[in-house]
Amino acid sequence: MTGTIVTENGTCLGCGCACDDIDVVVSAGRIAEARNACPLGRAWFGDGNVPLRCVVNARDVMPEEALRVATDRLSRAKRVLVYLAPGLSCEAQRAGTAIADLLGGVVDSATSATALHQTLASQERGFASSTLGEIRNRADVMLLWAVDLDRRYPRFSARYGPDAVGIFVPDGRRSRRVIAVDVGDAATGRVDTDRRFTVAPAAEVATLTALAGLVAHGSRAPTTSAPDGGTVWSVASDLAEILRAGRYVAFVYDAEPDERAARSNGRFDALAAVAQALNDTTRCAAVALRAGGNRSGADAILTAQTGYPMAVDFARGFPRYRPHDGSAFVRLRSREVDAVLVLGDAALIPPGVVEGMTDVASRVVVGPRASEFALGSDAAIDTGVPGIHSAGTALRTDDVPLPLRPCLSGPPSVDAVTAQLVELLAARGRRGVA
Amino acid sequence: MSQLRIAGGTVYDPANGVDGEVRDVCIDAGRVVNEVPAGATRLDARGMIVMPGGVDIHAHVASGAVNVARRIMPETHDPALAPELVDGSVPRSGVDGTVPSTFTTGYRYAGLGYTTVFDAAVAPLMARQAHGQLDDTPIVDGGFFALLGNDEFLLRQIDAGERERAREYVAWMLGATGAYAIKVVNPGGVELWKRGARERTDLDTPLGSSRVTPRAILDTLVEAAVTLALPHAAHIHCNNLGLPGNASTTLATMQTLDGRRAHFTHLQFHSYGSAAGGGWRSAAREIIEYVNAHASISADVGQVMFGHAATLTADAPVEYLLHRSSGRKWANVDIELETGCGVVPHEYRERAAVAALQWAVGLELFLLARDPWRVVLSTDHPNGGSFMSYPQLIRLLMDRAYRDEQLRRVQPRLLAGSALAEGLDREYTLREVAIVTRAGPARILGLREKGHLGVGADADVTVYASDPDQARMFATPRYVVKSGVVVVEEGQLRRAPAGRRLHVRPPFDAAVTRTIRQHFDDYSTVRFANFPVSGLRDAASPLAPVGSPPEGR
Repeated sequence: MTGTIVTENGTCLGCGCACDDIDVVVSAGRIAEARNACPLGRAWFGDGNVPLRCVVNARDVMPEEALRVATDRLSRAKRVLVYLAPGLSCEAQRAGTAIADLLGGVVDSATSATALHQTLASQERGFASSTLGEIRNRADVMLLWAVDLDRRYPRFSARYGPDAVGIFVPDGRRSRRVIAVDVGDAATGRVDTDRRFTVAPAAEVATLTALAGLVAHGSRAPTTSAPDGGTVWSVASDLAEILRAGRYVAFVYDAEPDERAARSNGRFDALAAVAQALNDTTRCAAVALRAGGNRSGADAILTAQTGYPMAVDFARGFPRYRPHDGSAFVRLRSREVDAVLVLGDAALIPPGVVEGMTDVASRVVVGPRASEFALGSDAAIDTGVPGIHSAGTALRTDDVPLPLRPCLSGPPSVDAVTAQLVELLAARGRRGVA
Repeated sequence: MSQLRIAGGTVYDPANGVDGEVRDVCIDAGRVVNEVPAGATRLDARGMIVMPGGVDIHAHVASGAVNVARRIMPETHDPALAPELVDGSVPRSGVDGTVPSTFTTGYRYAGLGYTTVFDAAVAPLMARQAHGQLDDTPIVDGGFFALLGNDEFLLRQIDAGERERAREYVAWMLGATGAYAIKVVNPGGVELWKRGARERTDLDTPLGSSRVTPRAILDTLVEAAVTLALPHAAHIHCNNLGLPGNASTTLATMQTLDGRRAHFTHLQFHSYGSAAGGGWRSAAREIIEYVNAHASISADVGQVMFGHAATLTADAPVEYLLHRSSGRKWANVDIELETGCGVVPHEYRERAAVAALQWAVGLELFLLARDPWRVVLSTDHPNGGSFMSYPQLIRLLMDRAYRDEQLRRVQPRLLAGSALAEGLDREYTLREVAIVTRAGPARILGLREKGHLGVGADADVTVYASDPDQARMFATPRYVVKSGVVVVEEGQLRRAPAGRRLHVRPPFDAAVTRTIRQHFDDYSTVRFANFPVSGLRDAASPLAPVGSPPEGR
C-alpha cells in the first residue's frame, strides 16, 4: 500500500452524531476508504475531490478578484443575509456572525427552517437532557419517539444505545428496555424493540400531553376528553408505567423530522415536558438529534456572540431575535434581502430557503462546491470541506465539541476565506444603524 | 503607545504596601517599570485613584452552562451596541443583561476596570468550546477551572486506593483541557443525582463503595493541588449548596482538610443555619470565624444582589430543587462520566425572606472577615447577581448609611440573630477594596504578575475619578490600561486587544495515559486522541508554582 496515508480518529459530519473514530485512508490524493463510517459517513467523505474555482459571473477569476467582487457586492447591498449553511466549522461560523454584525445584516442557519419549534420549546420551558455518553453508560430504558435511527443516524445504536455497552448497562442491549413509538409515517425503523406503539399523527400531541400528566401526577392526572381519548389514554398509561420503572430513561427523538412535524410547536413542548416531569420520580434525559454539518455549532456560536440561536437581525446595530417573522425563509420570501452571503455547503440549504434565494440581487457563495451552487452567483469561492481538507471545531448534536482533522490538503479553508472577508469588509467600516 | 506614564494619581497598591500615595506609574512594553523617558505618553491622573486592574476569581462567562443560560433566557437580553474602537479591531455588538454575550462580556469587564477573569466551572469534555468563547471575550486575560470530583475515572482511582494515579490524572487533565485550576463542585453529589438520589449529600455519604465519599474526593483533589504545586488551590463548591443548615457541611469540609490550602467559593451560599421547624437563619458568623482562624483557607463571598439573576451550575441537583420550588423554567444536562449542568432563571427580591437572608449573609461574611486577602469579592456572576453590580456591592461595603438604608427595606423575617441586623458599622477603606477586588484574588490565584503595580507586574491599571458615591466611581473608570494599552480613555472603551489565556500544564507520569486511554476506549463517546485541546491562543504561561498559603496581613 505504498503512498497510502491513514488519518486516524477523524470526525465525520455526515449527521449530528459526529462519530470521531473514523480512520480515513488516502491513496493517490483521494479518499480510498473511511473506516468505521456508516453509509451517511461514506457519502460525506466521498473521495475528497472538490472543485477549486473562484468564479465571478460564471467566469473563472483569481481569488483576489472573487474576494473583491464579494466585498463590493456585500458592502453595497442595503440588506444582507448571512446564511450559515451546514458544512462550516465553528471558527467559520464565528467569522460569519461578525460579517452580519458589521453589515447590519441578518444571520441565520438551517435551524430556523428545520428545528424552529424544537428550539423555541427549549427556550420556553428549558429541557432535561444529557450528552450522548450518559445514554450509553446509564440508560436502562430507551424510548425512541418517531426517530428512524437506522436511516438517519445509523451508528447511534452501536455508539450510544441501545446496543452500546456502558458502565451501568454492562450487557448493552440486554441491559436495556427499548420502547419505540411510531407516529404515522415517522416510523422508528428496524430497531429491535421490547415494545412498540403506534400513534396517529393527529393524536401525537394529545398522547404526549397525557403522558406528561401521568408521569408528573401518576393516576391522579386529569383525563383527556379528546374523541380518541381512549387510545390516547391507553398508550400514555402503558408508556408512563414503563418509563417510571426506569432508573435512567433516555428519550430520543429527531429534532429535524419532516417539515410537517417541524412546524408543530405543541409536539416539542410536550416532548420536553415529559422528559422534565420524569425527573420528579426517576432520571430522564431527552436528546434531540440533528442532521449533519455542525448545525449545533451554528446555534452555539450565534448564542454565544448574540444571545440568540438563530434568526438574528443586526439592522439596529445590535442583535434582535426574530424567530417568527425574521427567519431567512421569511426574509427571502418577503424580498427584503438584496444580497445573500452563503457560507458553507450550499447544497445542504433547506429547499424552501434556496428557493427564496432565486430572486436576490446579489449572491456570494463561499464554501465547498460553491461554484456549483444551483442558482449561480455573482461571486463564488470554492473551499475545502472542514473535517476533510481543513481543521477546526464542530459540535456534536449534544453540543460536545470535537476537533476536525484534515486528511487531504490543497483547497483553501472556508475559515481562512471567511476571515479574509471579515478583514476586507471591516476596512470599509461598520454599517451605520438603519 | 508602548511607553506610558500615569502621572500624579493617588495610588492604592496594597501588595506593595502603597496606601493612597501620590506617585507615577510607569509602563513599558506591557509591564510596570521604574521609569520611562520624558517623551512617553502621559495620562494625567492628578486627583484620581489608581489601582491595579481588577481580578475576578469566580464568574461564569464562557462555559457550556453559560451558553445554555444565554439560549434559554432570550427574554432577559438587553441590546448592547458595538463600541467605537480606534485600534482597528472589529467592534462587535451583542447583548447585556444577566448573561451577556461573549464580546460584550469582555467590553463590560474592561469598562469596570477588570482585566483578568476566570470562568469557575468548565466540564472537561466541553473545554474546547469554552476556549472558543474565551477567544471571543476580548481584552481580559483569563481562563477556567476544570470540573473534577464527580468524574468516573477519579472515583475509580479513589475506590482502588490509587491516590498517586489520581494525582497524575489530575495533572494530565489540567494540561489536556487548558485549565488553570481544579474545581470541585458538590463532590460526589452530582454523580449521586445522576443515579437518582434526592437526599442531601454528607461528607461520608458513600457512592456505591464505602471508600468513595465526598470526604475522600475532597482529600484527593486538595492533596493533588498541593502536591502538584498548582498556582491556585483546589477551588471548592461544597455539598448542599443553598440548603438550610448547610453550614455544618461547610464547616466539616473545612475541618477535614486539616490545614491544607483550599479555596472555598461563593461561601455565602454555604453559610445557612437551620432554625426550629426546618427554617433558615444566618450562620455567617460561625463560618467566618473559622475562616478567620485558619490561614490556609481563602474564600470568595458570592454576594447576592437584588434583581434578576441566572442560576447556572454544575451542581445540577440544586437547580432541580430550585425549579421545583420556584416553578421557573429549567435546563439540565448530565455530562458523561464527568459532571452535570443546570440552569434556572431567578430573581432576588428585597421582600422575599430567603433572598433577604442571603443578601445579609454575604454582607456579614464581608464585614466580619478579618483578613481581606483571604475573603474576596464575587457575586458568583450571574448566580448571585451580575458582575455589573460590583460597583454597587463596593458601595455597600464602604458606606454604612447606604447599607443600612437598604437593610431597612428588606424582608426581616429570617434576620433574627443576624449580625447585620444587629448592626455592623465597619466600612471598607479604598485599600481594602483594592485588596478584595484585585490584590487578594491575584494572590489567591497565584498570579504573581497581577493585582499589583510593582516593577515587572503586568501593566493592568485602572484609574478612577474620585467620587463620594463609590458605586458611581467604580462603575465608570476614567482610564483602564490592559497590558500597557489604554483600552478605556476618558471613560470610553477605545481599544479591544485580545486577552491572554491563563492555564497550567503540570508535568505528569506518562504511564497514567495508558490507563486513561483504556477508560476512554471502554466508556467514552469521544476518542482519547480527540479529547485534549491544542492551539490555544497563548502557550502556557510560565506561572511560578505557589505552594505556600496566602499570607494574612
